[in-house]
Amino acid sequence: MADPILRLSQLSKRFGQFEAVKEIDLAIQEGEFFTIVGPSGSGKTTLIRMLAGLEEPSGGEILLRGERINETPANRRPTCMVFQSLALFPHRSVGQNIEFPLKMRGVPPAERKNRADELLRLLRLPEDYYKKQVSQCSGGERQRIALARALAFDPEILFFDEPLSAIDYRLRKTLEKELKDLHRETGKTFVYITHSLEEAMVMSDRIGIMRMGELVQVGAPDEIYSRPANRFVSEFMGEVNVLEVQPNGAGLHCPVLGSTLQGPDAKADFASGYLVIRPEYLRFIGPGETAENTVTGVLYNEYALGSRIQYQVRVGEQVFLVEKLREQRYGGNLDDEVIIGWEARDSVLATE
Amino acid sequence: MTDGRKKRVTHNLIAVWSGSLILFLYLPIFCVALASFSKQRYFRFPIPAFDTQWYERAFTSLTVRDLVSTSLSIALIVALVSVVLGFFGALAFARFDWRGRRLYQRLVLLPIFFPQAVLGLALLIWFSSVGIIPDWRTAVIAHLVWIVPIVTLVISIQAYSFDPALEEAAFDLGATRWQTLKEVTLPVLWPGVVSGGLFAFLLSWGNFPLSLFTTGADQTVPEWLYAKMVSGYTPLVPTLGALTTASAALILVLGYGGWVFMRHRQAR
Repeated sequence: MADPILRLSQLSKRFGQFEAVKEIDLAIQEGEFFTIVGPSGSGKTTLIRMLAGLEEPSGGEILLRGERINETPANRRPTCMVFQSLALFPHRSVGQNIEFPLKMRGVPPAERKNRADELLRLLRLPEDYYKKQVSQCSGGERQRIALARALAFDPEILFFDEPLSAIDYRLRKTLEKELKDLHRETGKTFVYITHSLEEAMVMSDRIGIMRMGELVQVGAPDEIYSRPANRFVSEFMGEVNVLEVQPNGAGLHCPVLGSTLQGPDAKADFASGYLVIRPEYLRFIGPGETAENTVTGVLYNEYALGSRIQYQVRVGEQVFLVEKLREQRYGGNLDDEVIIGWEARDSVLATE
Repeated sequence: MTDGRKKRVTHNLIAVWSGSLILFLYLPIFCVALASFSKQRYFRFPIPAFDTQWYERAFTSLTVRDLVSTSLSIALIVALVSVVLGFFGALAFARFDWRGRRLYQRLVLLPIFFPQAVLGLALLIWFSSVGIIPDWRTAVIAHLVWIVPIVTLVISIQAYSFDPALEEAAFDLGATRWQTLKEVTLPVLWPGVVSGGLFAFLLSWGNFPLSLFTTGADQTVPEWLYAKMVSGYTPLVPTLGALTTASAALILVLGYGGWVFMRHRQAR
């Protein structure tokens, strides 16, 4: 693999007694779309602020193409950040906002205007927006203006601090794709942070999951989806079925169900942990059908999730979520006794 | 009573109430202006004959010129200094969280609530105990003690709504600290700075109790007005009073006009 554009080694940040970021090691490749995902308070914002030069690390190193940049201030780093609030200058027009980094660099006005027009085209904003006030633009337009302004800086790496978090669902879905397209078009390295794994999945080449200042898992979206490193990652991904299990000679003993289940082969040192099964891998077992694992419960409720239907099945204390496409919906009624089942290969073993 | 009539009566009552309130507020000023046009030396009502000679005298009088120049010097310096101090004070309030911030905030605002006469007296005692002979420059200091907190408060309101990410974004986009201040912080806080400056100027321009104690041998316009009212009244007193009020009003109108102009230019 080529040398990474950005390498973090043992990077830490302390605020008094509080360790916000704990000795993170990470390499980000040139041209990569890398997303750091974590709940609020996981240290992801502190991490990206250190990378952008807005926060000074307490320990470790940030290497840009092999060179230490810990002490380089933000205005002398070839990187640029799109802020959560977007931080568009309210007293300047759209054009002046986009031209800002060029003006700071002393680029002559005519050249600045050309570049701003180019960027307006790239971000699919109408040309007459050049003179428009930022306050008159919609949320999606502001997003694009902030992007255009960051691109005008021509950074080697673009950082994003949850810029889509305040935007409504439908527009967010569009903008996520637009951002991924823009990543292809510009070929630049994007480092993005968000609290939504779903958002990260759509856009990223690789994802890093952060929890309490540490990177819990780093990998391609598929890898994280199919092989979550631990219970935290699997639950972070959305609704999943988690069963506490301990290996016994015959398979995995599940105390809450009082039965032995079949799962993937456990590592030799696996003493106890969790069996994780995604709701879409569960199915209703009709007469004459079989599955490697089956349990009998009561259909308690059903929820329509657009293209899918989700069912809540109660087995004693344990609640199972089963998801089916609309076309494959369950034919019976609520309070029916149902048998649900899944195959061993569709489940994952995770530690705490 | 029908609903329509009820509404009409309410409406009329509101009109009467606000009309009398405005009359109550502005009648004294109007009377002062009226008195300044009197031909006679002593104030009598109704005014028997009108004249503008006192205005001519006001514009040619050396005394008036001295008074205005003293008041103007004090007000201009106070406005300038308090805007600079208030600007950085407001930024410190709004932007940074430091130990003792709340205590500082209260201590700094406290002089606003002192009776000004007491504050003036305290300052006079303080000046003489350290051996400073009061003149118009000590009045500048006295005014500052009272006005800086107010200006800080006015600018703080603007500073609180300032998104600190704006400065970070500017810095991140390659601006130096100085460029960030010049291109982003100042322009965004500008309305607060201008209104803070206007406040400072007008409060200093019209201040009487602090000036009375701390100008020493120098005299400001309000001081002179008071002195002449007490002994040696001429219609020059209401004339100068009316002129002072009119100039303050003019400054306010100009300030408002400038603000509207800026808004209009930004909106284009």
